[in-house]
Amino acid sequence: MTIKQKRRPDHAPAPRVLSPELRKEAEAIAAKYPNARSALLPLLFLVQSVEGYVTDDGMREVAEILDLTPAQILASGSFYTMLKKKPQGDYLVSVCRNISCTHMGARKVVRALEEHLGIEAGETTEDGRFSLEAAECLATCDGAPSMQVNYEDFYKVSPDEAVEIVEKLARGEVVLSVRGEPVKTSKEISHETATAGIRKPVMDMEDMPTMGGESFKLGDGPGTRPKVMGKEQDD
Amino acid sequence: MPAQETLMVTKRLREFASDSWTMSRYLDTDGYAAARRAVMEMTPDETIELVKTSGLRGRGGAGFPTGVKWSFVPKDVFPKYIVINHDEGEPGTFKDRELAEMDPHQLIEGITIAAWANQANKAFIYCRGEFALGSRRMDAAIGEAYAKGFLGEGIFGSDFDLDIILHRGAGAYICGEESALLDSLEGYRGQPRLRPPFPAVKGLYGQPTVVNNTETLSALPHIVANGADWFKKWGTEKSPGTKVMSVSGHVNRPANYEVALGMSLADILELAGGMRDGRPVKAVIPGGASAPLLTDTNIAMDFEALKEAGTMLGSGAIVFMDASTCMVRNALVTAEFFEHESCGKCTPCREGTWWKVRILERLEHGEGRQEDMDLLLDICDGMDGRSFCPLGDASAWAVRSNVKLFTDEFQAHVDEGRCPFDDDHEVLVGARAGEVGLGQAGVMPQPGAGIWTDADPASEATATLQDLATDKEGPTRD
Repeated sequence: MTIKQKRRPDHAPAPRVLSPELRKEAEAIAAKYPNARSALLPLLFLVQSVEGYVTDDGMREVAEILDLTPAQILASGSFYTMLKKKPQGDYLVSVCRNISCTHMGARKVVRALEEHLGIEAGETTEDGRFSLEAAECLATCDGAPSMQVNYEDFYKVSPDEAVEIVEKLARGEVVLSVRGEPVKTSKEISHETATAGIRKPVMDMEDMPTMGGESFKLGDGPGTRPKVMGKEQDD
Repeated sequence: MPAQETLMVTKRLREFASDSWTMSRYLDTDGYAAARRAVMEMTPDETIELVKTSGLRGRGGAGFPTGVKWSFVPKDVFPKYIVINHDEGEPGTFKDRELAEMDPHQLIEGITIAAWANQANKAFIYCRGEFALGSRRMDAAIGEAYAKGFLGEGIFGSDFDLDIILHRGAGAYICGEESALLDSLEGYRGQPRLRPPFPAVKGLYGQPTVVNNTETLSALPHIVANGADWFKKWGTEKSPGTKVMSVSGHVNRPANYEVALGMSLADILELAGGMRDGRPVKAVIPGGASAPLLTDTNIAMDFEALKEAGTMLGSGAIVFMDASTCMVRNALVTAEFFEHESCGKCTPCREGTWWKVRILERLEHGEGRQEDMDLLLDICDGMDGRSFCPLGDASAWAVRSNVKLFTDEFQAHVDEGRCPFDDDHEVLVGARAGEVGLGQAGVMPQPGAGIWTDADPASEATATLQDLATDKEGPTRD
């Protein structure tokens, strides 16, 4: 993937991708770590939660936050399959194609979805609703053939069931995973992934977002310690 | 007597499946008593000694004794870090996922014990990116533990501080290799590091770092609570304790089964309800996709016995296959996986995994040549022991055992010019060519070198082969 070198007049700063609220979150994420560079992956997820994929402007902004070059961001981020380089569907359907799932008929599931969505694995529907991919082992071999939609699990899916799940999502219905978790949109799950593990107030208590999903919220329980993270206390 | 499980790390999640992940349930079942005891009553050295005596071996795949690993950490260098390898991705393995989703407090308690033993004040959970629910549950559990004063400053009222930082991966199997995991956690490409220095001496941010697997850490509260001798009641002399075996494939009840190490593979198959439709076992992967195949279930499942049999216990992922399985396809699926996940750092693995897929593809599509089996074995020899990290070795072992154990079946593919198994058999083009990610770990297809869609479109041969790869019906099918 290449960064398009669009020259901006007088080195004007790249347009901001992250809103002021998300910038605060980004700083909270970076502050989790003794070395801010560790926040590279979560911050790219944060960009993905706004743009739907990792855009060039987003990478530039992450570089600015972490005091790195855009090339360093691209070099590291390009290694990881969950960070997308192309616009993604609202729902990413990942069918496991590894050993157990293949032997239990995963290819039939992929083919049924390809046929239903009119795309091949690796593509996104024209209306931008669904992306389909054949994924490597999702660690759900007991549910082979298994499938994830935006990383929520579905076990022992038949081709028909897989299509039914997609149809329900297309109709805007709430779909629950095998564990009873509602399927979120791609942007929502990217945000949840980016913000996993931020629990301590770094800036303003009031302004801090709640954690994704059902997880811990600020101020939960009397013993919450308003300890400032990120200052390297070990030195 | 029928085969029985021995429940230790999976006991709570079996008994209280509806709320085993909550703090209240955990406290009801003696939760955090062991960590409290370690921190309040034991010295760090005593804790290390206890774990050493217990003989606990790493449950992530390598089976290295945990206490010994800890003893490599220099005592006088600070800060030190604990890193939890929760990047489970070995095909066939799904135990860490269940442990973290269903019993995150047990993991946190184990982390606390490990952190105390090694005097580390920060622990990082490297949680696989695809584990949305597990991350949610761990996030909530960590929050509950902070609220109770079990994490943070002065845990359990002692003067020991511990922070746990949840970090999400972003989709790369190689990050399960501990030094690649550290690079990834530092914000780089997840590529393995040259060792020595080992992480215990120079790990995360250049500091002494203990990297342990989720299941390993989950066993610690039980060892501290009940003692080393209690733990050694199960298993064999050199492989003590219990192990969660992830059983999948053509069995009636695929699931995690926690058994004493050394239980026979046949008994584990019995636990899993036997083969579907009572068919015989054709092949078994005993320890994840990296482990060479077995054809006989009459073998003890422990580190030593499997090593002697030329394979390995690995992560304890057992995949049973019946006669409906095409072993060329099995090899191809495995090879594709390793090709996709090769990080591209070293040549034998980057190139070897790529070429193996090309050759297996043409075998599976009836285009195989007589010399292909030898060629595959030759490539495997070129990778085994010559790759930078175990990923290259493992990919060689996996493919080699398929070719060697099922030479006749490979030969049949060549002789008949088609796959003798007429199930559904086309290549999933999207599986690799259509990778949606920002990039794929490793190499991109090389123009002109194979049947891949990036190949030179002008080449007539390429065009034919592309048709072959994309044709829904597939010319080799009846």
